[in-house]
Amino acid sequence: MSIISAQNLTKIFGSGATAVTALDHVNLSVNPGEFVAIMGPSGCGKSTLLHLIGGLDRPSDGKVVIDGTSIAEMNDDRITELRRRKIGFVFQFFNLIPVLNAIENAALPITLDGVKPAEAQKKAAEWLTRFGLSSRLASRPDQLSGGEQQRVAIARALAAEPALILADEPTGNLDTRSGDEIAGLMRDVAKKYGRTVVMVTHDPRIAAYADRIVFLKDGKIVDETLLERNNDGGAAIVAQKIREIGD
Amino acid sequence: MSVRYAVLGLISQKPRHGYETRVVFESLVGGDENWEVKPAQIYTTLDRLEEAGLVERSSDLGEGEEPSRRVFQVTPQGEEALQEWFASPVPSEHQRDEFFIKLIIGVACRQADPERLIQTQRVLLFQEMHAATNQREEYDPHTEMAQILLLDKAIMHLEADLRWLDMIEMRLEAIKEQPLPEPEIRRRGRPRKGEKGSTYPPPEKVVSPL
Repeated sequence: MSIISAQNLTKIFGSGATAVTALDHVNLSVNPGEFVAIMGPSGCGKSTLLHLIGGLDRPSDGKVVIDGTSIAEMNDDRITELRRRKIGFVFQFFNLIPVLNAIENAALPITLDGVKPAEAQKKAAEWLTRFGLSSRLASRPDQLSGGEQQRVAIARALAAEPALILADEPTGNLDTRSGDEIAGLMRDVAKKYGRTVVMVTHDPRIAAYADRIVFLKDGKIVDETLLERNNDGGAAIVAQKIREIGD
Repeated sequence: MSVRYAVLGLISQKPRHGYETRVVFESLVGGDENWEVKPAQIYTTLDRLEEAGLVERSSDLGEGEEPSRRVFQVTPQGEEALQEWFASPVPSEHQRDEFFIKLIIGVACRQADPERLIQTQRVLLFQEMHAATNQREEYDPHTEMAQILLLDKAIMHLEADLRWLDMIEMRLEAIKEQPLPEPEIRRRGRPRKGEKGSTYPPPEKVVSPL
């Protein structure tokens, strides 16, 4: 069964003559453990789609079913609870609290959710360590590089052990090399730690890490494609690319 | 061209025989599936380098080397040629592009939906990029940096191609309105009979009345 199912999802901003259709009857389903990239030109509705899936906004029409539960019928309190327990968010700007160190930042949401501080920090430290930050646990954001700050933000998203991670341009504020590292990490979150990851990006090299790309244009899905080709394998393609360079 | 200088460079690093040069070159580019150099090519290259005076046979064999093997060492002219090679930049690759031709012909003969062409191409490039990205992650940066760098280059080229497709898509309306160039066609070959410049029929000999 799919963990995300968006059916006829439509979002119209404004009304009357100035109404803008940001999403136009979008159908999308995502399987557990899948890593999906949503791509498209700016203004195509990709962030809107992510916000609707994450319950950050409500659709004008259609519905979103997360793990078997439709969020259209939920009141705000229940949506908030779903967001805290089942969904982790990662954004372009890391939104870390400057006066807190890495471990305190990563532990903050679950601490606010009622987990005892000692336990919350233990959880946070586990994720930070998995993400290669064991020596930076006590560092404050201004002592960390952009890539490290984003890793703290991803650890923070995972501390509540959500099944689903939604990422909006997670590499948009990083240089190429750190961007690659974060994209590789997002893939690990899906492949190694079994989370479902949906990531919005406009960067082709970042989207190439995903299992599947959904192409959005003018609020509609125009195409989607699996990136793994099962017939001829990747090695042949890679060898071909290198050979072309040699010629 | 690059094989010639690669061979020269490897020999300038230390005297080597042909087989060894080939093995080192192939491991440098990540294996013969990436860039195969046939033994004959190595020996031809070595012969030409020798003729040009850039390498010479060395009697100075390493320990355990068979005396029958031809070991080459670099000459001062060879060092100089190598320096010139290092001093000059490498021109960018040629711009022949089959997709470009396919798109323009597709638009002109109205047999293909250009948006579909672009998307089909985009999907393949993404799949290639996905494969290259996965492969790169598998290489060990401590021992296989050459392969990683080559894949980085492949990925960046794919990235450029994908961005180019986005650009084409944005300009598609303008492309559709633009007719194919119709250059003036000049006939090839000899002028036909009777045309200007033709030598047939041969000009009649004017027989001057005596």
